[in-house]
Amino acid sequence: MSEEKFDCIIVGAGPAGSTAAYELARQGLEVLLVEKGDKPGSKNMMGGRLYCYSLHRIIPNFWEEAPVERRVEKEELSFLTEHGAMTISLDNEVLGEAPSHSYVVLRADFDAWLAGKAEEAGAMIATGIRVDDLLWAGGKVCGIKAGEDEILSDVVIAADGVNSLLAQRAGLRGELRPEHVSVGAKSVIALPEKTIEDRFCLRGNEGAARLFVGAGTKGAPGGGFLYTNKESVSFGLVFNLGALIKAGVSVAEAVEDFKFHPAIRPLLEGGEVVEYSAHLVPEAGLAMKPRLFTGGMLVAGDAAGFVINTGFMVRGMDLAVTSGALAAKAVIAAKEKGDFSADTLKIYEDFLRQSHVYSDLEAYKNVPELLEEPDMYTTLPALVVDILTDLFKVKGNPPERVQKMVMRHIRQKTSFWKLAKIGWKGARSI
Amino acid sequence: MRIIACYKYVLDEQDLKINPENKTLATDRAAWKISDYDRNAIEEAVRIKEQLGATVVALTAGPAQAKASLKDALARGSDEGIFIQEDALRGADPAVTARILARAIEKIGDCDLVFCGEGASDDYAQQVGPRLAVLLGWPVVTYVNRTQLEGSLLKAERKLDNGMELVEIELPTVVTVTGDINVPRIPSLKQIMSAGKKPMQTWTLADLGITPDQIVSNLRNESVKGAVVERKRQIFKGDPVETVSQVVAALIKEGTI
Repeated sequence: MSEEKFDCIIVGAGPAGSTAAYELARQGLEVLLVEKGDKPGSKNMMGGRLYCYSLHRIIPNFWEEAPVERRVEKEELSFLTEHGAMTISLDNEVLGEAPSHSYVVLRADFDAWLAGKAEEAGAMIATGIRVDDLLWAGGKVCGIKAGEDEILSDVVIAADGVNSLLAQRAGLRGELRPEHVSVGAKSVIALPEKTIEDRFCLRGNEGAARLFVGAGTKGAPGGGFLYTNKESVSFGLVFNLGALIKAGVSVAEAVEDFKFHPAIRPLLEGGEVVEYSAHLVPEAGLAMKPRLFTGGMLVAGDAAGFVINTGFMVRGMDLAVTSGALAAKAVIAAKEKGDFSADTLKIYEDFLRQSHVYSDLEAYKNVPELLEEPDMYTTLPALVVDILTDLFKVKGNPPERVQKMVMRHIRQKTSFWKLAKIGWKGARSI
Repeated sequence: MRIIACYKYVLDEQDLKINPENKTLATDRAAWKISDYDRNAIEEAVRIKEQLGATVVALTAGPAQAKASLKDALARGSDEGIFIQEDALRGADPAVTARILARAIEKIGDCDLVFCGEGASDDYAQQVGPRLAVLLGWPVVTYVNRTQLEGSLLKAERKLDNGMELVEIELPTVVTVTGDINVPRIPSLKQIMSAGKKPMQTWTLADLGITPDQIVSNLRNESVKGAVVERKRQIFKGDPVETVSQVVAALIKEGTI
């Protein structure tokens, strides 16, 4: 038994790891998928939204069998001041058209399903196992060490999440830098199905996705989110860790206060918190990308920093799925060649470069700089909320010309120069 | 020597929620697990195997989804897994469960020792072990806290309300174990991997020669509801010195300290 050797050991049964395991097992390779949590998904967390296109390429129409919550057909982006909110709301059935649509999912269910697909395809799954280290031979990774157990394989795929121990052990990345990651705190709040449909104006299986910029994070870079599940909403805040440390804001307190914001409170009224979790999110894109391969090893998913936050959408799972599939493709190519050296495995990076993963990361690579801009979270929300408030308020005084009123707010809160600078950054990054 | 470890696959009580309107249990989000004391039963069987050499057969009966438990039972050190699949066993009374397990043990044959948990972590009826012994015509030792096997003589320490009882008994016998008897192992990666390669069998009632009329429960479960204990909401106000002694007096009265 101890001489047994796998073609590939995948560490982490999230979307990247399970997709890689599924693809490899389907090709008849001997695959071991190792997960630290008692069940796939039990350690995972995200706001809750999966863009479908990438997994659809691997498991067509997967949403028909996967545990998905609601199909997002309503997008809302709100700018919040302490008391007010200005919301852009888009309702469009087109948003729900397959396969470029998205679903709200609960990770505990969804990840377990995807790992189950890999197991059905023939992958061996071991849960409740922490992988402590890599095994090396001749300068190449040749397996993993978990407790006393050493298991050999031709390749290890590290899909072990944002704080990837294995990528670090392999010398592919250093310590995470606070400004490169965000910390997300999320509550799942149970509400009756009917209440959710009424409050968010949804019918049947339709879902809403809402993002909040401004007062939720108490002016710190980051944002709030709210996604509708079938019988609950996923709600929380994400803070850039570096900025959070500087601002000295308590995350738990901010989440509690955010629940009582006048724009949020009526949405959550009567709900019961059934789950609470927090997780790190890689957000620096290409700036934090580790080396993605070394002899006998590849890095995929969050471990590779494959998350895009544009300010109006956050994507991670779709990139994780593609990177997992491409890692599998690279392993298959290496197996055909019978060579698992870095020289062969670098084909993984070529695959990524040809895929949407790199073009997407490249396209949004300046966004983190925009999102660092403190005015985005204080001045801009105040500007839009106050201008629109003055526009709609009837005071019984002689009216101020709109153009003059807008100028006054801009001068009071910021300057044309500063606005133009943010506008330029925005135009350059998205 | 062949040792049987019987176990029940139960809902994880940590995942159970109580519906506030009617106090019924919401079980749809609950995960399944091998019942806590039954893990001790498997562990004890495996420890004896490791000391003295034996074959450990993990045995369970239940509806289809319980089959998933075999891998866990095998990862915990059992050599073989046998699952008796019968959907009617969902919520079956202990007499029925014992009847099925007894017949399975007879079919396995050549067994010396059967371990059960003292009770299941869901209904904790504590009946399957003793009933099984009656059906097998074997003695039973319940609430065992420690075992020592010398040849065919089992020395067992029983944990009772007001003391310990030391028992010596000739095999074959049924033993029910407490949660203190050992600390069940957390399966290692290799143990999990090897579990997939160990023999697993699924039997039906027909394989055991049991007819549907023999598994009709005499016990009917009307409902299971959550008990909600209201807090007393006593607030003591006033001078701190007095209040503290009031609080202490109240706690003593409640028997909490």
